[in-house]
Amino acid sequence: MPKDNTINLSDIKRMLHEQGYITDNSVAMSVFLSLKLNKPLLVEGPAGVGKTEIAKVMANAMQTDLIRLQCYEGLDATHALYEWNYQRQLLHLKMVEHNDQPVEEKEKTIFSDSFLMKRPLLQAITHHKKPVLLIDEIDRSDEEFESFLLEVLSDWQITVPEIGTIKATHIPQVILTGNRTRELSEALRRRCLYLYIDYPDFEKEWMIVKNKVPGIDAKLAEQITGFMQQLRILKLEKTPGVAETLDWAMALSALHIDHLDKSIIEQTLGVVLKDWRDTRQVQISLSELMEKTGVRSKVG
Amino acid sequence: MITRLTSLSQNIVQFCRFLRQKGFTVTVEEEATALQALQFIDYSNNKIFFLALQATFCRSKTQLDEFKNLFNEYWKELNKAVDAKLKNEQTKKPPQIAKPQLKSLSAWLHGNRNKETEETASYSLNENISQKDFSAVPEDEVEELMQIVKSIAKRLAAKTNRRYEYSHKIDLPDLRKTLRKNLRRGGELLDIIHRRPKRNRVKLVLLCDVSRSMELYSAFFIQFMYAFQQVFKRMETFVFSTSLKRITSLLKQKNFDEAMNLLSMENSGWSGGTRIGEALNVFVNEYGKKMLDSKTIVIILSDGWDTGHIDLIKSSMESIHTRSKKLIWLNPLAGFEDYKPHVSGMKAAMPFIDVFAPVHNAESLKKLGKWL
Repeated sequence: MPKDNTINLSDIKRMLHEQGYITDNSVAMSVFLSLKLNKPLLVEGPAGVGKTEIAKVMANAMQTDLIRLQCYEGLDATHALYEWNYQRQLLHLKMVEHNDQPVEEKEKTIFSDSFLMKRPLLQAITHHKKPVLLIDEIDRSDEEFESFLLEVLSDWQITVPEIGTIKATHIPQVILTGNRTRELSEALRRRCLYLYIDYPDFEKEWMIVKNKVPGIDAKLAEQITGFMQQLRILKLEKTPGVAETLDWAMALSALHIDHLDKSIIEQTLGVVLKDWRDTRQVQISLSELMEKTGVRSKVG
Repeated sequence: MITRLTSLSQNIVQFCRFLRQKGFTVTVEEEATALQALQFIDYSNNKIFFLALQATFCRSKTQLDEFKNLFNEYWKELNKAVDAKLKNEQTKKPPQIAKPQLKSLSAWLHGNRNKETEETASYSLNENISQKDFSAVPEDEVEELMQIVKSIAKRLAAKTNRRYEYSHKIDLPDLRKTLRKNLRRGGELLDIIHRRPKRNRVKLVLLCDVSRSMELYSAFFIQFMYAFQQVFKRMETFVFSTSLKRITSLLKQKNFDEAMNLLSMENSGWSGGTRIGEALNVFVNEYGKKMLDSKTIVIILSDGWDTGHIDLIKSSMESIHTRSKKLIWLNPLAGFEDYKPHVSGMKAAMPFIDVFAPVHNAESLKKLGKWL
């Protein structure tokens, strides 16, 4: 890969493509600018459209490591930054109990690097080379954590009282994802570049299927994609994403099926739909759906 | 940093101003970012130019949706201006379309209720499945309502349990469990176990009457249901007229307008007749076992006008009452001074109700908080 300062837009496009990430220009542009301007990239969109995948592809393309921080309700600074390995400290003290080391010395040892458990954020800023830091589902974390994150994202340093301030060796490439469970603060948004990824259209999804499931029958790929596109129009509890499309394509391809029909769809619907109400709704309107997709029913 | 003052950078600055006029928050920092971004791209390509600006200026989905039009509008205007060597002022669009308010609700809020209450006293036998347009339900009041509901929610869940439960966070140390766990390591306290007072988790079930006799209050009730569902995670919402319908997932939409759209798309028998007994019976049979327990508070919103079997009301009310923690009946009509539960449906239900209160607008909801 070319060096950071010579990389251009078409390189990014090519790299994304090489990594098997089918996308449009707006994604490439956002990734490119976020690399160039050294700004975090905030990616929003429905579940299963490949938000997290962007980070993976980026890490791959930059030939660096991906450090992931999965957010959840109740996530606090200790889980994101560092923790002292209390048990190890205690055992260590126990071991050196009877030797004549002065107390200060002992204290210094137990508050040293080897007793520090680095959590993702600290890991990211002390990494030996510029990593990709993925902060996944940021909207699930509490607001307090979000403002704490703001501080880290702007200063790139973390203070551990016992050791001192740790400055970033390399500023990581940050990607934040969210699917609008909670509105993110304006301050956080302003610090990032914004990218919204929607469900792909037919052409794009078809390409993705063909790309990710190499051995698939062309006709089958077309039918699967068409069917999924129709499914998303229905008001379902959990609209299936691209991840589901791929799962389904892989499953059907493994079964050596070369076209869809009613019974196959009925039997394998569980791969795509994860909610029984959805399953029921789709079963009821299956014939209609198949007609729209252009899948011929064997019956009749 | 771009320092030279090209016409392009001037244009970008002007475009930022234009965006601000249209409600975007574009800070100086973002302007700088955009200008910086331009040095990395081939901005003679219109499409790439557009994408770069879009990536730097947009901060949310709504902005993304608007941006394309604004971009086109601005640069078209600009080209025209350059061509004609004339600058015509940007015409401002009228800001917002005034939101139509639901007449009945505002009339109610202003106290003109006499005539309309007479109308509410009639009810229909047939299920009248009509598509209601909820677009007129004002959203701005929802915020306020949610605040009230939050305080009610706190009150409902307030009392902490006397027992303790295991806590992941660093909290009160649990001495007994800590000692016990560390005994196997010779009593060295390696792992410290924490505990916290156990919280009482209340579950809620909301059953809302949406028959014609309740039509007058429907706007308020939609807000009410929406606010409750947003605040309470452990809650199920149903609407009923002649049949019962579960609308929990519809109300879980983040966006109030979206929820309204979905609600109006559903043919849930809004403004039909009422058969409270049947609806409650369906609830007890289908969902009762799963949803009702000693931690569940059931709230019924209805005026008690009923065209079904009275016995059925009695039996289903009884079984809800015995299976749940509390049964609250909110009646919009009970707000009148001379109101007495004469209606036969109401009469039958009365013995099984723990709290009976009037609720018809935000004000009365505040009072409800005090009653509980």
